[in-house]
Amino acid sequence: MSDLSLPRIQHIAASGVVAAVGIWVTYVSYTQQPSEAFLFPRLIATIFVVLAIWTFIKACLGWTKVGNGITTRQFTNLLPGLVVALIYIFWAAKGLGFYTATSIAFFILLSLYDPAPHAAIKSWVKRAIVTACFMVVMYLLFATLLKVYTPREIFF
Amino acid sequence: MKRLLAGAAMAVMGLTGSAYADGHGDFPDRPIMMVVSYGAGGATDFQARIVTMTAGNEDALGMPIAILNKPGAGGRVGWNWFATQADADGYTLSAYNIPHFIAQSIKGGVEYSSDSFEPIANWGADPAVLVVGADSEFNTLQDVVDFTKANPGKLTTSGAGLFVGHHIAALQMEKAGNMKMAYIPTKGGGAAAMKAVIAGDVMAGINNLSDAFRAAQAGNVKILAVADLERNEFLPDVPTMKEAGLDVDNSSVNFRGIMVPKGTPDAIIEKLAATVPAMFDNKRVTGKMKAGGSPMHVMTRDEVKAMWAAREETLKELLAGL
Amino acid sequence: MEFIFYFGDVFTPINFGLLLLGTIGGLILGATPGLSPTMAVALLIPFTFQLEAAQGLILLGAAYTSTVAGGAVSAILLKIPGAPANIATTLDGHTMAKNGQGAKALQLSFLASAVGGVFGVLLLIFLTPVLAKWALAFGPSHLFWLAILGVTVIGTLDSKSVVKGLLSGCIGLWLATIGFDDIMGAQRFIFHPALGGGINIIAALIGLFAIPQVITMFAKGRVASGAEVIEVQKHSVVDAMKELMRNKRAMGIGTITGSIIGLIPGVGGQIAGLVAYDQSKKFSPDRDKFGTGHPEGVIAAEAANNAMVGPSLVPLLTLSIPGSPTAAVLLGGLLIHGIFPGTDLFDNHPDVAWTFINSMLIGQILMCIFGLYVAGMAAKVARVPQSIMAAIVLGLAVFGSYSVQSSMGDVYVMASLGVMMYFLERFGFSAAPLVLGLILGPIAEANFIQGSMIANATDGLTPYFFGGTLNIFLIAVVILSVLYSGYMELRSRRYTSKEEIIA
Repeated sequence: MSDLSLPRIQHIAASGVVAAVGIWVTYVSYTQQPSEAFLFPRLIATIFVVLAIWTFIKACLGWTKVGNGITTRQFTNLLPGLVVALIYIFWAAKGLGFYTATSIAFFILLSLYDPAPHAAIKSWVKRAIVTACFMVVMYLLFATLLKVYTPREIFF
Repeated sequence: MKRLLAGAAMAVMGLTGSAYADGHGDFPDRPIMMVVSYGAGGATDFQARIVTMTAGNEDALGMPIAILNKPGAGGRVGWNWFATQADADGYTLSAYNIPHFIAQSIKGGVEYSSDSFEPIANWGADPAVLVVGADSEFNTLQDVVDFTKANPGKLTTSGAGLFVGHHIAALQMEKAGNMKMAYIPTKGGGAAAMKAVIAGDVMAGINNLSDAFRAAQAGNVKILAVADLERNEFLPDVPTMKEAGLDVDNSSVNFRGIMVPKGTPDAIIEKLAATVPAMFDNKRVTGKMKAGGSPMHVMTRDEVKAMWAAREETLKELLAGL
Repeated sequence: MEFIFYFGDVFTPINFGLLLLGTIGGLILGATPGLSPTMAVALLIPFTFQLEAAQGLILLGAAYTSTVAGGAVSAILLKIPGAPANIATTLDGHTMAKNGQGAKALQLSFLASAVGGVFGVLLLIFLTPVLAKWALAFGPSHLFWLAILGVTVIGTLDSKSVVKGLLSGCIGLWLATIGFDDIMGAQRFIFHPALGGGINIIAALIGLFAIPQVITMFAKGRVASGAEVIEVQKHSVVDAMKELMRNKRAMGIGTITGSIIGLIPGVGGQIAGLVAYDQSKKFSPDRDKFGTGHPEGVIAAEAANNAMVGPSLVPLLTLSIPGSPTAAVLLGGLLIHGIFPGTDLFDNHPDVAWTFINSMLIGQILMCIFGLYVAGMAAKVARVPQSIMAAIVLGLAVFGSYSVQSSMGDVYVMASLGVMMYFLERFGFSAAPLVLGLILGPIAEANFIQGSMIANATDGLTPYFFGGTLNIFLIAVVILSVLYSGYMELRSRRYTSKEEIIA
């Protein structure tokens, strides 16, 4: 284990982030007022930070036994979907309205991940039909049955 | 298919859009949401659901009111949300609890004050009562006062949080009796505070009259005194604190009612203020409230405005020393 | 015997319809890889808003019961445990299917599930009222330790690394403190306005369970479907019943282990299944046959994970402590209708409580009947292409988390937690302790603060939190679970995750 393998670097990074969060939580817990309100956070933060630093040290020494990390291939696979999902959730849902944004995101995700050939027109029609069916079901469930008033910008 | 749906949706939007355009004449034309800043199952939630259940009737608003619970931090979460994020279009109402939100705004750390809201009407007044477990050695308020004076800071007393009616009542008791109690705020509202009394975790508790009434009927607690100016119709045998020797007035009485955010169009406020008190007086509502042991006290918008101002003054004085 | 009076309520047309809907829907959802029972129940919650309290609970309870059993279908036919609870089922079930005994394995698993499940619910029926009276003995200090116990036990037993398990628990406990503190009203860790109201538990559950699943499906890229379905040959149900009767030992061990494990807050069906599997292996004369398609393995595992369902609700209904993520979802369902579970639940709302419990009893039997006949079909549904599955789950997660409080902030919280959880899971942190920390954190904190205030006014902190038999017992369990898991970790542990099973 002399060379730093990809999972090992990832483990160091991941546990480093957790440890950093732990240190921040501990710092905030012990410095913010009123101290009565931070009694319980202090208790947790102390255990949190000790365990997090321990994990980080273990990761640096290459002792981590569990967790397989993410391979480059998995990462390139998930990245487009994740980006679409994040844009959908953090911007489009509110910006375009729930139903519009969901239809678009759903269709893009199908286009990205379903294995039917992109060249064939038939597969695009199929995707459009699946999207439309899903949206009809969602509209019936949430707008009609549950009467949830979701943000509606353009269209619905 | 998609186009069909989009078309249908545009038609729907068109309908709502036109209603917005002309001066709120047909308000309300869709269901109304009412935020309750306490968890489901608490007294405020329980009563809010009852008093709004006839909103859909033609003689009331003609549209149902849906309750949305935003509990947390003694009501601060819900009211903060209501003051800063709710749309001031009349479709978002909130239940208010006096003295809670006024006391919280005086203590600071929240984004609202009584100027952030416009009252619509008041439906209930729930006085705070002093309860002890059914097998407690205390039988009168005097027993409690004697114990507290002999053991300063030892009388553990549960209540639904800090700077809520229960806490105000405890502060007033301490001031009037010149004594020190150990006030234990619980999370989970009146129900959790009551459980602490029943289970014997604490020696006494201050709780809502309505909750205490139900617990006392089940034989779980004894009610020793009411923090109000006169005895309550539900508990004709229980003395007021004043009668029992502690000079405590009605500042801690928990008034509940409906308000809207500041900035709501006047026409809508007027429409609501005119319809809502009558909705509270509906027979089905009063019957159900009585069955639940919840005292009604309907007040109009102007009366509530005066009450808010009076409370603000008393509380500023009481909380100044803390 | 009070519960018998409320049996009639289960059979009103609406209630029974919901029960059927929940059962059949649950079987299909459970058989779908990637839809865990918690996720299914969490996604269902918004749909119960419009229902009466008892009706909502019937739907959720039925879905809970049958997703656990439905998970066996994909465990056996696809070698993908539909839920973590079915991991142990895969060990012998899938081997049986490969040997051409798929139908027999399915029938055995549903029959065993029903027997275990009925026993578990009966235990719930008879234990709850007794324990509810006893529950008043739990003061703030005991409830504090019980909540800590829930997080520790799952953090240590359910995770391959004790340190990472406990760390996940701590992260959950910390997340629970975000927002206004309930007593002082101070703002804590609010680094984004969406967190002003704290983290909504239902939104968090949807995010933590649904989003990592969606991303995992993305990570597989453009592939058709996860696995090949094995063809099932016909097998007589009567023969399966006879086979079950021959394996009373595995049946008994599974049922009893599952029931006991269910009572402990924090321990889920996954552990129940694995422990029961190990125990029946230990006591079986044919222990060498385990893992090679031995019926006893399927029976023990499935009896245990369904026997656990009933008792796992005991802490919820008596102490209002949700012992599992699913129980937390059910708690949400109760609270929405203004019902606060606890000592007086059976006095104040006997109609709701008993109708719900009875429906779970009937649900176990319906689950078995439908399971036996629907199993093959459910496996087909389980083959919905994963691209569509991922998009559907994502859409449902967004709509579901929004509709909890009509708040966009909840959707952001849901997504952030979910993405975070995906990456944490890749590095050996598990979701279960984190979720339990998030659920039990507020309970632990409230009781800690209340207890310390009472302690300060009376006999002081140390005697209050560390004195008394009940306190010492609970602390001992916490310490033992840490020590035991640490010891087991040193002596190399077995597969406990879904991924290792599939690999």
